[in-house]
Parts: sequence; C-alpha cells; structure tokens
Amino acid sequence: MRLVFLYRYFLPFFLTIGIIVSLSFFSSPYEVNSTVSGISSSSEYTGPFSEPDDAKPSIPAETDVLTIPLKNAGRLFMIEAIIDNQSGNLIFDSGATGLVMNRTYFRKYVKTDIQNSNGITGPVAEVETINLGKVNVSGLTFTNIPASLADLGHIENRRGIKVLGLIGFEYLRDFEIVIDASNNELQLHRIDSRGNRISETVRSFQPDITQPFEVVKNIVFLKGTIGGKMLRFCLDTGAETNVISSHSSKTVLSTISIDRKSNLSGAGQNSVEVLFGIMNDFNFGGHQLKNMEAIITHLDALNEAYGVQIDGMLGYNFLAKGAICINFTKKQFGMKFLKTELK
Amino acid sequence: MKSAIRYLLFVFLAVMITGCMNDYSSKPVCRVENGRIIFKLDKRWSDQEMKEILSQYDLDSSLVAKAYSGKGEVMIDSILWKYRTVNPFFAELSKPLDKRSGDFLQKNEVLIINDSWIRKPLFVESAPVVSGLNSFRRRGAFKYENEVAQFFLPNYKDASNIYLSGTFNDWSTMQSPMTACDSGWILRISLKPGKYLYRYIVDGKWGTDPNNELQERDDERRNNSVVFCYNHRFALKDKTEAKKVIVTGNFTNWSRDKFPMERNSNGWSLDLYLQEGTYAYKFIADGKWLADPANTDNRKDANGNLNSFFSIGELFTFRLSDYLSATKIILAGSFNKWRQDELVMTRDNTGWQLPLALAPGNYEYKFIVDGDWITDPANPYKTGSGDYTNSFMAFKPNHTFVLENYSDAANVNLAGSFNGWSADSYRMVKKDGKWTISLYLKPGKYTYKFIVDRKWILDPGNEIYEANEYGTNNSVLWIEQ
Repeated sequence: MRLVFLYRYFLPFFLTIGIIVSLSFFSSPYEVNSTVSGISSSSEYTGPFSEPDDAKPSIPAETDVLTIPLKNAGRLFMIEAIIDNQSGNLIFDSGATGLVMNRTYFRKYVKTDIQNSNGITGPVAEVETINLGKVNVSGLTFTNIPASLADLGHIENRRGIKVLGLIGFEYLRDFEIVIDASNNELQLHRIDSRGNRISETVRSFQPDITQPFEVVKNIVFLKGTIGGKMLRFCLDTGAETNVISSHSSKTVLSTISIDRKSNLSGAGQNSVEVLFGIMNDFNFGGHQLKNMEAIITHLDALNEAYGVQIDGMLGYNFLAKGAICINFTKKQFGMKFLKTELK
Repeated sequence: MKSAIRYLLFVFLAVMITGCMNDYSSKPVCRVENGRIIFKLDKRWSDQEMKEILSQYDLDSSLVAKAYSGKGEVMIDSILWKYRTVNPFFAELSKPLDKRSGDFLQKNEVLIINDSWIRKPLFVESAPVVSGLNSFRRRGAFKYENEVAQFFLPNYKDASNIYLSGTFNDWSTMQSPMTACDSGWILRISLKPGKYLYRYIVDGKWGTDPNNELQERDDERRNNSVVFCYNHRFALKDKTEAKKVIVTGNFTNWSRDKFPMERNSNGWSLDLYLQEGTYAYKFIADGKWLADPANTDNRKDANGNLNSFFSIGELFTFRLSDYLSATKIILAGSFNKWRQDELVMTRDNTGWQLPLALAPGNYEYKFIVDGDWITDPANPYKTGSGDYTNSFMAFKPNHTFVLENYSDAANVNLAGSFNGWSADSYRMVKKDGKWTISLYLKPGKYTYKFIVDRKWILDPGNEIYEANEYGTNNSVLWIEQ
C-alpha cells in the first residue's frame, strides 16, 4: 500500500507534482501488543518549497486565542463561514483530509485538477479540485486555497442546514486545537515552533490523560483498548456515532452488546444493514468510558484511503465525554473528562 | 453395579448438559462471530418479548419458527440464513454480515445516523405557544417597538466581540454582531411578533442572557433564553382605584393570576404575545370580573356571561362574483379541513364574500353553490386535475417561481419537496409569456423541478442544483429567515 503523506499547505503541490513519501511503519501490520509510549512519532516531509503566505490561516493579529462557536445539526458540529461571499456552514469533520466543498454551491469554479480515485471498495469517482478565493471561518481567515468538490446535498436534506462544505484539521494544525463539545467551542491557540502556547494569560489545557498520536493525511489516530486489545481509532468529529470494525477479533466484538440491527443510508438512496450497540469495555488512557455507542461495520474504504489498518472511529459520543486538545507540533493528544464521566 | 455406573453416567451427563446450558444462556441475544451475525432465540420468551426482539433486530417470525426445527439453511432475499437448535430451550439463527455495510464510510464522508437510534429525540420542536409574557430582571435588557427588537447586554467591557444568535437568524454565529456602548453591548434587529430562543456569544463562548429569567432547554440539554415579541396590548382605562387588575381569557385557560396588568397614568395595561386566532377575555379588578368596556365585540356565552372578543392575524376576503340567484354559498378548503357547513358566505350587491383570518400558507379551496362544488372563476391558479381540481392560493407568499422561454408549452407544473414531489398539485399559470406560481415557504431548504408538458426540467433561472438519486439533479432553493 502506497502512502501519500502530505504536509499541510503543500497539498496541491504534492498532488500535482506527485511526491510520494512512503512511510514503512504504516504499511506494516499494526502491532496490537505495542504500548502507547511505543508509538514512533511520524516523520513529516518538510519540503524545500516556500509556503504561499496567503494560504496560511490567520486569526486576528491582536489575539493569541480564537474561540469559534460551534453549532449543532443533529450530532454534527457546524462552523459558520463566508466563502467568496457565500455564507453558510462548514461541518467540522476531523475525518476530512482537507477542505471539501459542496458541489451545489461551487460547481461553477474552474477545476484546477481532476483526479480519478480508483478505490477497490468504493465507487470510482472523479475528485475535482477548485481554488477558493477568500475564506472566513468564524474569524479564521485565509485566501487562495485549494479544496475538493463533493455532493453534500444529502447532508443538508437530512439535517436541515446549509452545508457549504467540510473542514478538517488541515487548516487548523498550526494552532493548538481544543474541542470543547459540551460548551460548543473550538479554540485555536497560537503556538511557538516547539508547540507551546504563546499566550501567558490563557491557562494551558489541563488534561486528565495524554497520549501521543499518529497522523495520516491530517487525520488523527488514537489508541484505545477493548477487551484488553489495543486498537487504532480515527478521531472523527464528522461521525454521529463511534464505529467498530466488523473485522475485529472475537474478543473485541464479544464485549459489544448489540442493541439493534437496522438500515442506514449514506449518500444516495442505497441503504445498508448495520448493527448498533454499546462498547462495554472501552478503555481510553486508563479510563473506562461508559455508554459508548458504536455501529459495527467494515472500514475497508478508509483502511485503503489512509493506508493504515483502522479498527474503529471515535465520533460524537467520544467527544461528548469532555474537552480534547490536539497539538500537531507536539503530536500530543490530551483529554479532560467531564466531571460526570470521572465518577 | 451396572445400574450404579448408569446412574453416575446419567448424573454426569445431566451436569454436563446443565453446565452447557448455563454457559449458553449467558450469551447475548445478538453477537458477531467470524463475519456472521448470530441471534440466540429462547423458547421461554413471552409473545411480547419475542415481538420486541423481532422488531429490535428486524427479524422474520417465520425464520424463528424454523430455527427450532433442527439444523439447516434457508435462502431469503438472496441471503443465506443458517439455523440450528442448540438445546431444548435455545436455537440459533445466523447470517453473514452485510458486505456493503461499510460502503458509506468513504474518505471525506460524514457519518449520519438515524434519529430513531438515539434514545432521546434529536429535534424536539417546541410546542407552539398561545400566549407569552417576558420576564427580564432589568428593564433595559430588551425592548420591542414597531417590529424592532433591541437587545442589551450590560457590562462585558473587556470583550472584543459579542454576537447575538437565535431562532430569528437561524442560530447564526456571524450575522448579528452587537455594538459596544458605554455601559454594555446593544443590537437592534427587525423581528415579527412571536416567540424566539437566543443566546449571546461573547468572544466565541455561548451563554444565556443573564438578565432574562425565561429559559428553555433544547434537545442537546443546553439552556436558551426565551423572548416574546408582543403583538397585543390589553388596556383598561378606568378602575384606577383598584389595587390589582388581572387580564384573563381562553389564551391562558382563564387563569386568575398569570397575567397581572401594570398601572399607568390613565388606567391599566399589559402587552402580550398571542398566536394568530380569535380570543375571548375579561378583566379581574380586585376579584371582580368585567368585560372590556372599550371593546365593541362583547358576546354572551351559553351561561349568559358577557365576554370580550378580538382576533389576531390578518384577514383574507374570499369573493365570488355573481351567482346572485343562489340561496346559500359555502367556502370550504384546506384551511378548515374542507368542512361543508362552517364558512357561510355573505351576499352583497355584486356577489358573495367572506373575510377569514389565515396564517401565511398555501391553501386549496372551492365554493359550494347550493350544493354544487365549483372552483374560483376569478383565480387562474389550480391544483390537481379532472374532478379533483381545486382553486389554489398562497396567503402572504414569499417566493415566486418563474419559468421563461416556454411560452408555447401547454402545461407547466411545479413539483418539489414542498408538495411531496406531486406532479399535478401545483399548476403554473402563463402570464406575459412567463409561467409563474407564488408560494409561502417556511425558512429552510427546498428542492424542486418544473414539469413542462410531462418533461421534468431543472429551473433554468436558478444556477443552484444538486445531485439526486436518479442522476438527473434537482434545483435548490433556500428560504432565509
């Protein structure tokens, strides 16, 4: 499995020039016995290119922290945005590799690149890239940045809210990111080159637990255990529920009480059968997290897209357990649980 | 000796079987093993338990009956089910996991679940309120005059920005910035009378209005402040000598204490929000009930008590010209569930008329002229076809659909998410070479198409469209607040 590992703003350059950096440790099967401290920090490609300054996301000059209010639509988190004079919402989706715009509102843009995604599992589709002029994401601004196009009308129709697109970590990773779901806040803290917060006045994040994390294509992968087995989860703020891979071992699956079998529809009209249940033995950083809902389904397309074996996804239920802090410079994940979770 | 061995063997077997059964009974009803979903069925379930489990796991009852008949396989809808009887109490049904089950989990795809899976409903629409009275701790925190609302948040001198977000701006976090003034932050916005929920966003942090005592929890268990924009003033000019005056009526279930009036220079008054409708009311001055002396619409109820009446909402006058020789004409429509005896029209010099209070919306109607149902001859807009043709009107329409360059088409209909994609319910009318129809649409997203002589087309005047399941696209329309 080839692995394209991209560095933040170089996405378009890399896509077009096609620099591929294979990282051997991702292609090896994941060691279930490895300890959390044993994760090697991923080496990032830092190319010789100079970053286009205007593509760099910026927050108002006088502030060291930008707090972005999040809105809810179902269990999705939305950020209001104005993109080239169109106002609407971006779904805050840490499972999105970059900016993905809704074709409904951006179809007239000039396509700067068209690539075929030839998935084994997924449908063959063209991925079109456009260039956005001026982007204002609730105070976080940047100009002249690439984005891909996708049909997102079904999300609008299901959740009744205008969706301009999806935004993942790609344009946030220069900041220390705090997601406080219970207060509906996304905080972006300015950090220095070593990843420390610049501001003296803002109290640093006080996590109950920390763990180093892996990054592939701006997606954060975390470790958790089920039934004593250590598993790799992708952190996905765009998932209304957690997911456990149906390929998981019997030990893992036996800890999940399955509440119902039901049909779920994604994009388009095809509905598929999924199992919905509770992860009864989910341990995260030494904390047993209760009432973690999950669907059991295969994750083949994502495994293929990211070139890593993914055992599950941590979505809304996980985020609702407290506030989380992600620092891409330090490759450090922190979580502060709600008081009710620590009882 | 033989019998002793037999006995021991029997005991041993019995222990084994019981042991196995206990082990098996601890298994969950549904489990996943080796790529198969396995359901454990228990003969001792009551009918009710069985029914619940079948619906929970979407299982077929005929399959369950089969499972107790031994071991075998059965093909249903191209799915191979296996069944086996485990022991006298338990049987198993199993099927392979749906291979497509994860197909929707693609890169850059959000995962949306069914609302019914979540134990609490996600979208609880707050029940419509009949009447509402604000409760602010501080007088200046909210004012409403001439359909302009003024929100005031005192203090917060150090804040760098404050936004007002609520049901009136679709919970926008960017559209309504407040302005700093010497004692706090202020914002004036145009609002129609009604009930609104809101929160302030101080430097990105959500919070309720500290000066508003009215709060309501939403489905995410977050508190919102509640405000009413008033549309009615009760006034009583006399009774200045009274110590306490209450207004009561059918809008408050004739409560004797909910709405105390405020004393002013020439009597008593109270502002309220009332939803559209017709109301009966009375004042209670120091315990004594009286009808409104300033109201000309005072009527006696069945017990002979005199009540005052008034209506909120705008009137639309239905007219039918001519038919002067008819003896009785009735108006029936979707606004009164097509009741044939309720809305009797009045005859005047040129025809028949009836004023009716209506909420903004889209309505179908007909006139019943001495028992014969007719459409409105003065209204070209119709829905349906043949005997099921009705007149159509939008009261206070807020969007007009226009189709140009199809002047030689014979029929153009409008179908969309607002009418369940019905192909013949909204017929457009040709005027000056353009086909048009006006509708009242609540704020939100709509998808639609025109049907020109049975051919479905996108709206050529609207460049916003999205993919549909047929690969033919639908036009998209957003109605803003």
